[in-house]
Amino acid sequence: MMPDPSMSSWEPEIQPRQTLWQRLDSGLRHLLPSLFIALAIIVFSAPIPLPGSAELLPAIVIATVFFWSFWRPSGMPSLAVFVLGLFMDLVGFAPLGVSAFILLLVHGVAFYARFGLMRLHFLLVWAVFSLLATAACMLQWGLACLFRLHMLDMAPALFESFLCIGVYPPLSALFSWVFRMLDDEEDA
Amino acid sequence: MIPVSIQVRQALGKLVLPLLLLLSIGVIIGAQADKPLADRARMYVADALAPLWSLMSGTQEHVLTMTENLREAGRLARENARLKTENENLRRWYDVAVSLTRENDSLKTALHWIPEPAPAFVTGRVVADSGGIYARAVLLVAGTESGVQVGNVALAANGLAGRVTETGAHSARILLITDIASRLPVMLEASHAPAIMVGDNSPMPRLMYYAQDTRPIEGERVVTSDQAGAFPAGLPIGTVHYVSPGRPVVAPFAQLDHLTLLRVFNFGRAQIEPPEAPGHVPLTPQKKSLELPLKSLLGQG
Repeated sequence: MMPDPSMSSWEPEIQPRQTLWQRLDSGLRHLLPSLFIALAIIVFSAPIPLPGSAELLPAIVIATVFFWSFWRPSGMPSLAVFVLGLFMDLVGFAPLGVSAFILLLVHGVAFYARFGLMRLHFLLVWAVFSLLATAACMLQWGLACLFRLHMLDMAPALFESFLCIGVYPPLSALFSWVFRMLDDEEDA
Repeated sequence: MIPVSIQVRQALGKLVLPLLLLLSIGVIIGAQADKPLADRARMYVADALAPLWSLMSGTQEHVLTMTENLREAGRLARENARLKTENENLRRWYDVAVSLTRENDSLKTALHWIPEPAPAFVTGRVVADSGGIYARAVLLVAGTESGVQVGNVALAANGLAGRVTETGAHSARILLITDIASRLPVMLEASHAPAIMVGDNSPMPRLMYYAQDTRPIEGERVVTSDQAGAFPAGLPIGTVHYVSPGRPVVAPFAQLDHLTLLRVFNFGRAQIEPPEAPGHVPLTPQKKSLELPLKSLLGQG
């Protein structure tokens, strides 16, 4: 039997050096979720009359961070989460660092529970996310109360958590479609 | 890159998240401690993003203007279709009018119709009236030098306005149909029934003395009648309106509260002399003007 002349069958670890274009391509693939969040932050902070944009932005960001942290952590590293949270605080009017802290907590929970979560049905994942999102919104509200030193109205926090829960299924459908497209391209 | 073993790299990887959490707590505390610094950082970010934001709002405005323009174009198309159908309709009516005019002309020729003399008229500017014995009267800048005579008929753009009561060399006073002293014989156009239009200083003169079996109908046109020989028949005055049951008034076509120009017509009624008939009492206008002591008193001052 003739040995296969291609290099990969001899030494699977040794591969030809990636070209500049390939490296740019894979880098962009890893940056895609972070770029999406950054774009969402810029769009929602723009002076465009979108209804409920103040509550919708954190909802989208939390759902995105959760989804990528447990399905593909390489696309959502901790450093990117920290930088995006800080950026959101700088653009918005929340106390500086609060969003970064909360997003890191969400990211950490999703990252460490991902092997358990991956085996669950979508509805169960959604339920877990709902609990996590509500906790995150409550924590944000609590921190805001703490820094202002008086009790704030709880309705916006509840509204934000409901938006979080509602925005998760469409976003996860969108990201699953993006996954499939990227995987198809890699296979091709 | 520093060569580190896989174990060390994994341990470092596990340390990144707690370190970043600690760092974010540090940022929170730092921002609370030094608020001006945090505000300055915010302003830097906002300054950097300002061009992007202005680009986005500009795009949004463009989109809004474009949709508005498209909607406007749709409205114009609808309006155009409506005008086209209306134009067709009007063209039909034009044909009807032309044929009716021809028929009218031929009928008049067949009947040996004597054409009415075209009335002479002058147009003058209305100036506000101050003083005088009437409450609703206007002063016209056209007098006897322009051929205006007492008893001439003043018409506004679309209806009767009043009659000339006094004339000067360059001015004439016109008694409007709304004055309390104005009583005109009129005709209800639908029933051809006579009535008297009585001014009461309000914008709508009343209708009185109409026959009880031909009551004025709401919206009916009211025109002048040639009874008593003061007016030619058929000058448009207004439409009937009931302010309350049993109290018909006339809504004049002419806008009597802000008149600017008036045409004064001389229909030449004075020249029409009825032939002598036995037992006929000639109806001549009273030449002698009424001497009011109050007026002469006022005239001295």
